[in-house]
Amino acid sequence: MNLPQPYARTEADQAVEVNLTINGTEVHLSLPARVTLSDALRDHLGLTGTHVGCEHGICGMCTVLVDGDAARACLLFAAQLDGAEITTVEGLGRQDELHPLQESFGRHHGLQCGFCTPGFLMSSYDLLTHEPGVQRDDLPAELSGVLCRCTGYRNIIDAVDDVAQTHRGTLPAPGNCGKRALVGRTAAAATGPAAISAESTFDEEPAERPQEIDLPAGDPTIHIEVTSRLDSNPTEVARVFGDIRLLARCLPGAELTDELGADWYRGRARIALGPMRMAFNGIAHIEEQSADRIVMKAQGKDAGGGALARIIMTAAAVDGGGTALQADASVFLTGRIAGFGRSLAGDVSRRMFEEFARAVDRAASGEEEPTAGTRPPGAISLLFGTIVDRVRQFLRRLASGVWRRH
Amino acid sequence: MKAAPFAYVRPGTVADVVAELSRDGSKVIAGGQSLVPVLAMRLGRPTQLIDINAVPELGELSRDGGSLRVGAAVRQRQLQREEIAAAVPLARMALPWVGHREIRSRGTVCGSIAHADPSAELPAVAACLGATMVLRTGHGTRQVPAADFFTGALSTAIEPDELLSEVIFPVAKRGEGFGFGEFARRHGDFALAGVAVRVHTSEASVEARLTCFGVSDVPVTVDVSQQLRSALQRTGSDPSRADLLSALADHTPDVAGDVVDTVGDSHASPAYRRQLISALAAREVSRAYVSARLSESEECSR
Ligand SMILES: Cc1cc2nc3c(=O)[nH]c(=O)nc-3n(C[C@H](O)[C@H](O)[C@H](O)COP(=O)(O)OP(=O)(O)OC[C@H]3O[C@@H](n4cnc5c(N)ncnc54)[C@H](O)[C@@H]3O)c2cc1C
Ligand code: FES
Ligand code: FES
Repeated sequence: MNLPQPYARTEADQAVEVNLTINGTEVHLSLPARVTLSDALRDHLGLTGTHVGCEHGICGMCTVLVDGDAARACLLFAAQLDGAEITTVEGLGRQDELHPLQESFGRHHGLQCGFCTPGFLMSSYDLLTHEPGVQRDDLPAELSGVLCRCTGYRNIIDAVDDVAQTHRGTLPAPGNCGKRALVGRTAAAATGPAAISAESTFDEEPAERPQEIDLPAGDPTIHIEVTSRLDSNPTEVARVFGDIRLLARCLPGAELTDELGADWYRGRARIALGPMRMAFNGIAHIEEQSADRIVMKAQGKDAGGGALARIIMTAAAVDGGGTALQADASVFLTGRIAGFGRSLAGDVSRRMFEEFARAVDRAASGEEEPTAGTRPPGAISLLFGTIVDRVRQFLRRLASGVWRRH
Repeated sequence: MKAAPFAYVRPGTVADVVAELSRDGSKVIAGGQSLVPVLAMRLGRPTQLIDINAVPELGELSRDGGSLRVGAAVRQRQLQREEIAAAVPLARMALPWVGHREIRSRGTVCGSIAHADPSAELPAVAACLGATMVLRTGHGTRQVPAADFFTGALSTAIEPDELLSEVIFPVAKRGEGFGFGEFARRHGDFALAGVAVRVHTSEASVEARLTCFGVSDVPVTVDVSQQLRSALQRTGSDPSRADLLSALADHTPDVAGDVVDTVGDSHASPAYRRQLISALAAREVSRAYVSARLSESEECSR
């Protein structure tokens, strides 16, 4: 075990500086010494997968890995962990590629409300990596550090036993660790190589425009590539591409509020999804603008988190008339909104682009002034479209017999 | 349930730790597994926490002749894992009973002994083996034997300005055998009653020590050599464990009557705890004796 570095006194009303590696991302925190790791993860870094039940070590909901060993995040002051490597349930698997333990809990119905699940996953990960030969009879005692109110434990034991048997000594490492942006709910609470740019420009109204918008290294939260077929011809689309204000009006919910010069713009975007309403304030930089191609970077911040994106749009003529408008967007979500399902966020972005493409088409044909900017995109229409799509897919799968109960 | 604000310092040397400890209102934080709940419930409000985890010397786990020296920052799981600690089998037997793996990842051996919970396992191990606690201040070092160390529930001989810098456990000798058992309502909970046993056999004699915990405000150690010898008179010196267990069962109720000194609580009455001690003592003394006989015949000592 690595020893932490000595640290001089911080008074009770001062902040302690802490460097941690969380799910592969280095973060720097500055917080009072009495802040526990569980609070640092949830409140300062937006990683709400680590649950908090009792806050004194009994329930096990807050279990995370500290330097590879499971530990109670509520019984550790973040200040004590300088230099440590933390893995939370967010690091265990990806939405599109679950860790075998996560997959097994689902398959065996080892979760009902799911409140204890992060604790059980991290605790059993520790168990199976350190004692790969563990026998089923020992599981109740070995997993006794985590409490579940719902399941009666039998299915949890089944889930862990299944993975123990199928992965003796071959349990995959956490599959979702890497560099990404982590920014909490309390503004500027965390910075790190991945999050510095976010922190410096996530102020409500950045006074100055930054030199550059730095995108975090690593995989984006969502990557979408969409092509829409427009009736307008490429020359008409080029007119819209050349007029940034017109283009902005085509973007659902977006509003250009200020031109900062040198192709920098300040703006607002509102998105409403059912009960969730987000209002992003941010800036955008057009890096490349021609008749058939626009490359831009944008970043915005909402009280619940932030988004950084790199968007490339290209327009190409289509045989038989019309234009193919293609968007390639890498979006990095931080904070609370990052907890949004990856696939739902992807669906919403896709629908936003489709709405945008329709507005561009209208603007290009001069048929009407695009109005997307004057009101938030119909929350209802966005969510509705998304849900309707999902229901359609579901019915299609049912009809084709692909979707079957395990 | 959040801790009240406190000043935080993480010194890099023992000298700096003890210098900081001389400030009023200071508390050592090792693993925090007992201290953090106390702070969260605001049962304690130290003005300063001294984190001892950055002192390399306190992280040492070493063998020194017949002793295993366990520094103040050595985690409980480290003692379970590292080969060198196998030389103290009683500690290895007790550790799986200390809370849960998540607690042992951070909890230290010395922290548990310093905290001195009457139901805790490691203080009982220290008492049974006659471990030595090394206490340091700015002006010197003193060594306190386990028999003088535990002074009451959650109370020890440690003065407010003293650091428990290490615990010295004697390494198991040839002819020694050990037993450890406890009863808790759920695995990982504090024990309603528990025992740690050390038996030493040689051609000349048989000796047995029984330390009971969870039944008084400190671990209670009694010499049960007489009871073991009487049982062996009936079974012969090479009994099966089952035979020795039933012979011992006649003798342990008296012992239990002497050591159980609680008024009882909602979980268990004193009478129930006596029954537990009696049953656990017979079981673990017989286990310890059989393993002592085995170790006697081993070629080399451990
Ligand atoms: C859910 C749960 C279940 C538990 N179950 C058990 C159990 O079954 N059995 C058991 O024995 N324990 C149990 N514990 C307690 C746990 O084992 C702790 O690890 C142990 O009691 C304290 O060790 P620590 O290193 O965490 O000490 P800390 O919590 O850091 O400190 C405890 C106290 O000792 C003092 N202290 C610590 N180190 C030193 C030192 N070197 N010099 C001077 N003073 C010092 C501190 O100031 C504090 O007052 C449990 C804890 C939890 C949260
Ligand atoms: S919240 Fe940490 S153990 Fe209950
Ligand atoms: S699934 Fe609800 S607490 Fe365990």
